[in-house]
Amino acid sequence: MRKKLFITFIFSIACLSISFAQNKIDFTEYNLDNGLHVILHQDKSTPIIAVTMMYHVGSKNEQPDRTGFAHFFEHLMFEGSPNIPRGQYFKIVQNAGGELNANTSFDRTFFYEILPSNQLKLGLWLESERLLHLKIDSVGVETQRKVVIEERHQRYDNQPYGSVLEETFKRAFKGTPYEWMPIGSVQYIDKATINEFRNFYKEFYVPQNVTLSIAGDIDIPSAKKEIEEYFGTIPKGKEDIYRPKFGALKQNEEIRDTLYDNIQLPLVLQAYHMPPQGTPDYYALNMLTTLLSTGRSSRLYKEVVDKEQKAVQVGSFPFALEGPGLFIAYGICNAGVKANDLEKAMQDQLDLAKKKLITNEEFQKIRNQIKNNFVNQNATDAGVAENLAQYHVFYGNTNLINTEIERFMKVTRDDIKKVADKYLNKDNRVVLYYLPKSLEPKKEGK
Amino acid sequence: MKNRIFILIFAFVFSLPAIAQVDRSQMPKPGPAPEIHLGKYESFTLPNGLKVFVVENHKLPRLSFSLVVDRDPVKEGDAVGMLEASGSLLRTGTKTKTKDQLDKEIDFIGATLSTSSTGVFAMSLSEYTDKLLSIMSDIVLNSDFKQAELDKILKRMKSGLAAQKDDPSAIANVVEDAVLFGKDHPYGETETDETLDNITLQKCKNYYSKFFAPNISYLAVVGDIKPDKAKSLVEKYFGSWKKKDVPTFTYKTPTAPKEREVALMDRENSVQSVIDVAYPIQLKLGDPDLIKAAVMNTVLGGGVFRLFENLREKHSYTYGAYSSLIQDKLVGNFAASAEVRNAVTDSSITQMLYEMNRIRKEKVPEDELQRAKNYMTGNFAINLEHPQTIATYAINIDRYNLPKDYYQNYLKNIAAVTSGDVMKMADKYILPDNSYVIVVGKGSQIESTLKQFGPVALYDRFGDKIDTTKDKAPEGVTAKSIIDKYINAIGGKANLEKVKDKTTIMRGTVQGMNLTMVIYQKEPNKIKQELDAGVMKQETYYDGNKGVVSAGGTTQDITGDALEAMKYQAMIHPLFIVDSLNIKTKLLGTEKVKGKDAYKIEVTLPTGKSWTEYYDPQTGFKVKDVQQITVPQGTFTKENEYSDYKNVDGVMYPFKLVQTVGPQTIEMNVSSIKVNTGLTDAKFEMKK
Repeated sequence: MRKKLFITFIFSIACLSISFAQNKIDFTEYNLDNGLHVILHQDKSTPIIAVTMMYHVGSKNEQPDRTGFAHFFEHLMFEGSPNIPRGQYFKIVQNAGGELNANTSFDRTFFYEILPSNQLKLGLWLESERLLHLKIDSVGVETQRKVVIEERHQRYDNQPYGSVLEETFKRAFKGTPYEWMPIGSVQYIDKATINEFRNFYKEFYVPQNVTLSIAGDIDIPSAKKEIEEYFGTIPKGKEDIYRPKFGALKQNEEIRDTLYDNIQLPLVLQAYHMPPQGTPDYYALNMLTTLLSTGRSSRLYKEVVDKEQKAVQVGSFPFALEGPGLFIAYGICNAGVKANDLEKAMQDQLDLAKKKLITNEEFQKIRNQIKNNFVNQNATDAGVAENLAQYHVFYGNTNLINTEIERFMKVTRDDIKKVADKYLNKDNRVVLYYLPKSLEPKKEGK
Repeated sequence: MKNRIFILIFAFVFSLPAIAQVDRSQMPKPGPAPEIHLGKYESFTLPNGLKVFVVENHKLPRLSFSLVVDRDPVKEGDAVGMLEASGSLLRTGTKTKTKDQLDKEIDFIGATLSTSSTGVFAMSLSEYTDKLLSIMSDIVLNSDFKQAELDKILKRMKSGLAAQKDDPSAIANVVEDAVLFGKDHPYGETETDETLDNITLQKCKNYYSKFFAPNISYLAVVGDIKPDKAKSLVEKYFGSWKKKDVPTFTYKTPTAPKEREVALMDRENSVQSVIDVAYPIQLKLGDPDLIKAAVMNTVLGGGVFRLFENLREKHSYTYGAYSSLIQDKLVGNFAASAEVRNAVTDSSITQMLYEMNRIRKEKVPEDELQRAKNYMTGNFAINLEHPQTIATYAINIDRYNLPKDYYQNYLKNIAAVTSGDVMKMADKYILPDNSYVIVVGKGSQIESTLKQFGPVALYDRFGDKIDTTKDKAPEGVTAKSIIDKYINAIGGKANLEKVKDKTTIMRGTVQGMNLTMVIYQKEPNKIKQELDAGVMKQETYYDGNKGVVSAGGTTQDITGDALEAMKYQAMIHPLFIVDSLNIKTKLLGTEKVKGKDAYKIEVTLPTGKSWTEYYDPQTGFKVKDVQQITVPQGTFTKENEYSDYKNVDGVMYPFKLVQTVGPQTIEMNVSSIKVNTGLTDAKFEMKK
């Protein structure tokens, strides 16, 4: 066979990854008068630059009857400005020998260009144009409406297990703005008027709500000057920016559901409520997930996939967010294995972490694995630029790009047991089974 | 050999000095073009023939080793999947270490180590270099394949194969391979449950011992290490690897079709069609056409170019549309691809073919050509951010016998491509009229719209053509002759008619549950069925008129179509021997059942309900039937396979029955059949 096929189980949302570096990353940061935050990092090893804009707006800033707005807006941002005709963003960047793209999560919308180092001004121009005066017209809106529907089909509806996170968040975050996915619901985009898009732009696409982070082969003083030229005159936004507050999310009892989909192998997913990213428990939960599912000696893999052969794939990860997040553990059944047998095998491993302190050897192993991650996360300019922006926007401390490792290293064996015990509880979770449609029981008619 | 730093210049058209004041209406001009440094590398060859390339890069304190076994493509024949299994087995134990030990040691140093049938990739922090290399060389030199591990791997591969059924892009890849290269070519072979069953430990061991050899392998060492240190470590860990003669192969070269053909894989629940317009090409690194052809392909469908602009930005058919021109030593391929909503499947194909034709016929405007060249130039620089790129280039130079300065001249050669070159390349490599249009999608909605593109052939998800031609059965064979042979084979009409009642006991398992089923039948069509699955018990009664199901304390009358179907299912004799039923039969041709030819017959009741049955041409026995059943859960395809025929009082009955409904398979074995025990009519009425 030419190409190998694997079972892919992709959580297709921009996940925020934690990042660390062993070699110190120097950076300069400051605010323009209009509130735009700027972070600059010089790395001359390759003659390229990454120009990135992180807007502090994601799906959680949407209204429940207008879900999908932030992501839709990400598409509109490529439509043009008074000085850039429709359809030119891609062409201009390619013509410069660059790459560009964007993505939207629950908490932020991220745009980037990777360009040759002599094209810094071009990147600044492109980004300042769409921050200053984006063109929002019906042609662009109509085109992107259809494109987004196809994106939804391709990435969620025509994908096995494609809807699993949507179904999880719907249940776990009922009544809060994390209830819906960034992709949102198609009908709301259809209902929205041009004016609503314009208002969304006025509220969220303003200098004080964005971080411009640039990494690569730049000269800091001249970059500063050029940034001022392109961004300095953009007026500060006047509206209050809507930032939803999350109360304490408490489930009183386990939520458990079964869904039937076009799949062959059942999937089991458990999602436990967890605190926001950056909290001490968040670090301990990261260490816990490493213990459970990083590498082939990890507990879930070793026991459930390798020894018991109950699953073809297992995993766990803290889906950490600016607000409260979810600690997710999942598995896909091996052929002939029932979902509840798999769940039991996974549960045994979670219970063990709650009951017993991990061994010193395991503790050392997961510390090594986490150190290895730090180093690998900052291998590219684009990665460094994004990580710098993220530490500023969500942690208020850009220098964590160098020091966050210390927070991980502070976590003790006890802490890991403690967070397992505190969060991995029945009444704190949503459990979903995805089963093949052929097993769906008769629907109640009439 | 020591290669010095090479200096290249971005080849941009504009390089005017920047103006001081910002005029937003003007796109900023670029500054002076930066120099592009193609990093240096060192290379050496061990006495055993292993070629080693070292790229020193201290930006991060990490290091990777990548071993590539450069053998000819291998045909797997009836054991497709053997290569993948062998690749996985490499990671499951050596002569001195168990899988658990390997897993532990690799994870303990926070390393990544993956294996495939053509190599091993390992990466870790540089402080663990020695340890990492000792593990890697142990795997490469001393792997020890074990049956228990192979069993686990095969089980997972089978699950993966089942799961693939719901992954339309994965299916499209399989069908594309089979259609483009043919199933007798190593690139066109596809995995099935049968080929996985044919994989043996010995085959995997043979593969490893035959093909893992230093003299056909490359090792790239990239990262935080001094070349001297790299050399002494590689000598220490790979010096004792034994040279051997490795078999080589040649294959027939697949070619593009004479006329356009459509290959449809019908997937009823698709909400999008996956489309590939594709065909094999002859193009490999070092071919003077390659760079020019790559520029041409960029204009057509690399990144955000013509296909994307047309199908996404102009028509909103898709989230993205692209083309690829893949070079390969043996045989490459071209593909234009998109995933589009069902209703615009044909419109999308029309636009893809339109763009393919346009690039052949119209000269590419200079600005568009320049944009493509700039894009490729930029990508080249961006890729250099990864030090592995330099190692890949160095290995390519050796593998493909490229000029030593191939990559130094790469940008110059891109810059030199003209619109005339693009047209020539399009004429040679873009073949809209000699393409396969491969579609995975909802047949009922799209099949009729595909005929305009060429003859439509149906494929299954394993890339096998579904034979829809009728009467492929030999001359003289008819539905009647097949049924007559069947009736004779199972004992003849006279013996069958002697059977007045029958009691069958069978056992099996479903999803790990043990199942016992007792079936009582009495002529002409009374039936009672008792199903016992431990936790669940179910009884079904049918007395020729009335049907009842009873389970878990509740009973329900069988009504409507289900009751009508029951009338026929309950019959103790094959339907054909009862003339009054007025059953129609039709020979559809032959088809494989479990790898053997079988006659395929369509059976139609007077009600119009029909299904298909399969008969073994040699024995005459019925081996399978397939019907659509509608149950409360929906409509499914139900397949029954019959085998292990045994004689009971002059009549042959199948003692093994495998039933598949959707993803669920039940295997039942008959433990006893008793006939004419004098069952009374009362047995078939439910006691109140």
